[in-house]
Amino acid sequence: MLRLLDISKTYSMRPVLRGVELELKDGEAFVLFGHNGAGKSTLLKIAAGLMSPNTGRVEITTESHSRGGIFYIGHRNGLYNELTVMENIRFFQDISRNRNGKFPLREILLEFGLWQRRNDPVKQLSQGMKRRLSLMKGFISGADILLLDEPFSGLDVRWKEIILERLRGLKKKGVALLMVTHLIKEGLSVADRIGLLENGVLTFQCKKEEITEEEIKEMLRGGVCR
Amino acid sequence: MGFVGNTLAIVKKDLLLELRAKEAISIMVFLSLLLLVVFNLSVEIDTENVSRLAPGILWVVFAFSGILGMGRTSLSERDDEAYLNIYFSSVTMESFYLAKVISNLLFLLLMEVFTIISFVVLFDYERLILALPALTLPLVLGSFGFSVVGTLFSFLSTGSRFGEIILPFLFLPVVVPILLGGVSSTDIILNGSTGDTPAKWLKILLVFDLLYLCISLILFRYIIEE
Repeated sequence: MLRLLDISKTYSMRPVLRGVELELKDGEAFVLFGHNGAGKSTLLKIAAGLMSPNTGRVEITTESHSRGGIFYIGHRNGLYNELTVMENIRFFQDISRNRNGKFPLREILLEFGLWQRRNDPVKQLSQGMKRRLSLMKGFISGADILLLDEPFSGLDVRWKEIILERLRGLKKKGVALLMVTHLIKEGLSVADRIGLLENGVLTFQCKKEEITEEEIKEMLRGGVCR
Repeated sequence: MGFVGNTLAIVKKDLLLELRAKEAISIMVFLSLLLLVVFNLSVEIDTENVSRLAPGILWVVFAFSGILGMGRTSLSERDDEAYLNIYFSSVTMESFYLAKVISNLLFLLLMEVFTIISFVVLFDYERLILALPALTLPLVLGSFGFSVVGTLFSFLSTGSRFGEIILPFLFLPVVVPILLGGVSSTDIILNGSTGDTPAKWLKILLVFDLLYLCISLILFRYIIEE
């Protein structure tokens, strides 16, 4: 379980997050929507431990420590561009918390459409392929909590579907997902709960069933706030 | 795999990256050659004084060329935020740091061998080759000290806008004891000295290596977290 308690963050006197409270249970997906600059990425980095809040704290309790704790996939892909696809993933496998688990690399690379390019340097891949490789690391990391910042950027419709299916599979295995995205439809298709972050304040959160895509769009346009 | 396995996995990855990109080695080798040519043209060196001047010239070249190369290995982690793979893995910061020290040490030693061969050719000083077995220990101890300090400061400075400019300013004052130990022990080996043995200076090198290593192991975690 991940709990964010009264999180506030200020960048050079400008408040970015103000008293954000959020709870994420095992096997649950919380999708965070909000305008650019609302503080979504900052919140994710604080949850990942990459940034310290000015006030508040992050509590993480995972039932199975053996599967590892948190894994974060940010805007950048975290790849070594000079190494091949296989070398990148093997290195990740070597240092992964989950290295004792069995990764059928061939199957995973086939599923992510990267098997044919396994011996190519990452620098020769398209943005979408790099993103898929980056997401693949998250899927094989064995983390209990996956933090995803705009995971679908650069992906076409087909790959978005495949990634969404994978994310739903992870949820069933008890992995908690905290995701930031601008893609409402995709976000809703994986979410159990959604939240709206406005100027650093979590102004709204509800279960997925309690809201429609149109209502979220309306809220983001600055319309009715339920 | 644990501590040793993780450390070796990162060293292997660094060597593979360097094999592909050839960034650190090519920068170090090119600068060392450039500096030797400058010394050759600007200092009046003949068969009489080459033996006396060689230790100083060699260690100045090692220090300046080395620091440029060491900056590259930390940049490879910053590019595309690849260091996050390590941050969210089973690798401890101590293991990460030691792996980088070992990688940098190997690159430094390679550059030093190249520099010594170039020195012999440019200054027609064959005695340096004959003294190479005796010089091995000062070279390894001195390079280890350079690598320990250089690795720490390269990660500190890559977070800054003017990282590559700041790095020599941070590095050079701190490595003065190592530079002194290296020059003195090399001088004794090449020229002999009345009643002095390299052992005294090698002990000094060893003490500073261990001192800097202990301090760096403590500080590295904070630098990465920043």
